[in-house]
Amino acid sequence: MDAKLVNPFVDAFTTVMPQMGFPEPKRLKMNVREQNAVSKGVSVIVGFTKQIRGNVVYNMTEDTAKFIASTMMMGMPVAEFDAMAQSAISEMSNMLTANAATNLTGMGLEVDISTPSLSIGENFQVKISDAQYLTVEMDLAGHVVELDIAVEQQ
Amino acid sequence: MEKVKVMIVDDSKISRAMLEGNLKKTNFEVCAMAANAAEAVQLYAEHRPAVVTMDMNLPDADGIECSQRIRAIDSDAKIVMISAMKDASLVAKGREAGISAFMQKPINTNDLIDTLMMLCQNKVGKVAVLRESYAKPFARALQQGLFSLVGVHSEVEVELDERRFLDVSGVAVIIGLTGYPVGRAIVSMEADTMHKFSMIMLDKESLEDITEEEASESVEESANIIVGRGVSNINDIFKDKEMRITPPGTICGSNIRIASPKLTTFRIVAKTRIGDISMNVGFAEGD
Repeated sequence: MDAKLVNPFVDAFTTVMPQMGFPEPKRLKMNVREQNAVSKGVSVIVGFTKQIRGNVVYNMTEDTAKFIASTMMMGMPVAEFDAMAQSAISEMSNMLTANAATNLTGMGLEVDISTPSLSIGENFQVKISDAQYLTVEMDLAGHVVELDIAVEQQ
Repeated sequence: MEKVKVMIVDDSKISRAMLEGNLKKTNFEVCAMAANAAEAVQLYAEHRPAVVTMDMNLPDADGIECSQRIRAIDSDAKIVMISAMKDASLVAKGREAGISAFMQKPINTNDLIDTLMMLCQNKVGKVAVLRESYAKPFARALQQGLFSLVGVHSEVEVELDERRFLDVSGVAVIIGLTGYPVGRAIVSMEADTMHKFSMIMLDKESLEDITEEEASESVEESANIIVGRGVSNINDIFKDKEMRITPPGTICGSNIRIASPKLTTFRIVAKTRIGDISMNVGFAEGD
């Protein structure tokens, strides 16, 4: 896939997260991957259609997911990754992807996004592409959120 | 569920009888039948049906003029044009006259019901509309798809799933739905069923001949075909609201929970001789 399509996702992350009360995220590393992603515990998939087709996965540990949910809910303690916390992470994924979609539109690409699907479990595999795709790790106040980006321009 | 009143306008006695027959076992009730435009206007005022089916050719006016006259007494009147001919200029003129949907004779009962449900959303409730017009086309696609892909017959059930999550041990193929309504479909089955499915699909002799990768990819490709067909079933009816599918994301493992907050979800289960194959279709709440 084209590396220029990664920036809209990274920019969305660095723009949206501070608006929800997080410190400025830092981009850690970017890799090309061929195999399936292994979930860190919580993985949210959002799909794209129209001029961009593919999927993005927000992959994080349950601890990170709880930290994010708690911050989004104004510091409310989140002991269990329950329905409310799951809803917060889904919402975050939706906001990040919608923002990335807006960035892609700014590049002249018409896109539509699906609703997020949030999966929870241990060591399950996530396959989003038959080909190579890119992963970017973002540091969020010491927590790591991995973005797996497999999108192609039509 | 309360019956929804329909008025049929058609100059042919046979067409009226056929439409009435189509609606007999449904949630719709024919409250009036008119053979010409004058009668249609009078009966509309009398019965105030929730929806009208309108033939194009009437002895005293055409269906478009008749629709205009009905809309003059009720600007919210819901009218579906049913005619032998359907072309772009007719649809354009009809839209101007306030006709909401267009169907061509002969009518398929499922399509007719889907269209009427869609037009009467407010009267029949959103969940019922989603079930009839959106979940059921996926159920048909699942049943037909399983038969054409692996030759298995199935009993298919559709039910509202209020659990807000789906537990999977085996494989789950997630396919996003964009357009209207936005949502996602998840086709899932247990590992054992997945292997048998792949064995039949790839025409292999035994389960040992199938790799894990082949097994999950067989299911992924099949899910793509089945969900694609479901979306085509829907797009065939609602031509102005194009639904699209995203490429699949496939999840494999044990004890995975897929959460669906804020989705109205239907569980569609196909019971087959190789095991249960489920499709969970969720649509965003809100609009």
